[in-house]
Amino acid sequence: MKIVLPGDKISDGPVRMENTIVENGKTYATVIGMLDESKGAFVPLESVWYPRQGDFVIGIVENSKNNVQTVQFDSPFRGLILPPPRPRFGGRGRDDRFGGGPREERQEVLHIGDVVSAFVKDVKRESDQIILILERPKRLFGGKLVEVRPSKVPRIIGKASTMLKQLEDGTKCTILVGLNGIIWVNGGNVALAQKAITKIQEEAHIGGLTERISELLTSGSINRGS
Amino acid sequence: MGGGKNKPELIVGGKRTDGRAMDELRPIKIQVGILKNAEGSAYLEWGNNKVLAAVYGPKEAQPKHIANPDRAIIKCRYQMAPFSSLEEHSRSGPNRRAIEISKVTKEVFENVIMLDNFPGSEIDIFVEVLQSDGGTRAAGITAAAVAVASSGIPMRDIPYAVSAGKAGEEIILDLNKIEDNYSEADMPIAVAPRNNDILLLQMDGSLTSEQIRKATDMVIKAGETITKLQREALEARYS
Repeated sequence: MKIVLPGDKISDGPVRMENTIVENGKTYATVIGMLDESKGAFVPLESVWYPRQGDFVIGIVENSKNNVQTVQFDSPFRGLILPPPRPRFGGRGRDDRFGGGPREERQEVLHIGDVVSAFVKDVKRESDQIILILERPKRLFGGKLVEVRPSKVPRIIGKASTMLKQLEDGTKCTILVGLNGIIWVNGGNVALAQKAITKIQEEAHIGGLTERISELLTSGSINRGS
Repeated sequence: MGGGKNKPELIVGGKRTDGRAMDELRPIKIQVGILKNAEGSAYLEWGNNKVLAAVYGPKEAQPKHIANPDRAIIKCRYQMAPFSSLEEHSRSGPNRRAIEISKVTKEVFENVIMLDNFPGSEIDIFVEVLQSDGGTRAAGITAAAVAVASSGIPMRDIPYAVSAGKAGEEIILDLNKIEDNYSEADMPIAVAPRNNDILLLQMDGSLTSEQIRKATDMVIKAGETITKLQREALEARYS
């Protein structure tokens, strides 16, 4: 593993890889990252979140107009939550009179300032910016938002969400991690969870992180008890 | 380019005023990630210059009408602190010189940052000069380049900048304040080191084409040292 900086050559041939560019048939890095030459893997140490279909995101409802909500993500992209499609045969369905269509199609009631989690259904390039069409929105009540760098999100979740599980067990919190770098923490020892998340973010590139976090979580919970 | 009767001797006994050789850089020190709230930041000491650079974004362009639907825009602010030099810099807000340097710095980064990835958004680059001793625009660009690289904003290369000039008949590198004021020519150059693309070339005074070639070669040779220092600073953050 070696550290690669923007402009460093990754391969002599054209390789299709994230966070790289191909110029004159050669591949160069565009962000700072770690390159594993044996595997040909390039992991960015710092990067900017770029939305993809199916991404789980957390944001704040910024505006609500004509049953369409715009969601802010602390990024240049803006999310849209559209109303669910109308009943197939037109007119008011039986369920419609009693507050929305069938259960799975019923939309969360969202207001400005609400924290909402959703999945990216579509990434659209509109005339002036990139718009994310969101689906399955869910309002999050209470809790605390922690902002991290999007490049550190995979480390916070860990391999097969081991790190996240460890965090949840150690702090008794419910933690939702948005790929856009916003984390929602609720219940349990929120302060400890926040401390651990900050530590993961700062020491993501140093080995043996799992042990250090488990140490922090055990010492933190003892302090809390005393 | 000050002249007149009181012009000091810039080269005495084959050495410059501060004892450097003609192609010698001042000592450079770079630190990365010193501002917590910024996406990327760097602090640079270049001789007596002290420069702080911070990068924010990409975020939604504000006000809306300045947004470009095809690419991100860069906003750059170069500013000298009121206490940065012996001369007057106390007026609040950017002066004519600061606006010019902000513009050229912005243009350097427009060539290396991959703006197409973020249509409709803006990237903010701030360069604050805390202490100045000639060559602050070069120092600012060098520091801002490190700050952008540390922010994770995709870029093609990490540029550097350094000035070259002429004192007497000699071509000199990295002019300090006195040399800047009294030399025959001063030419700051910014370079993207991968292909040695020149991103900025300004000149005060006059040089012959032969002298410009010599100055450019000198800058590119010195660039190896500067690039190495930028690299070390960035790597030190992750080791």
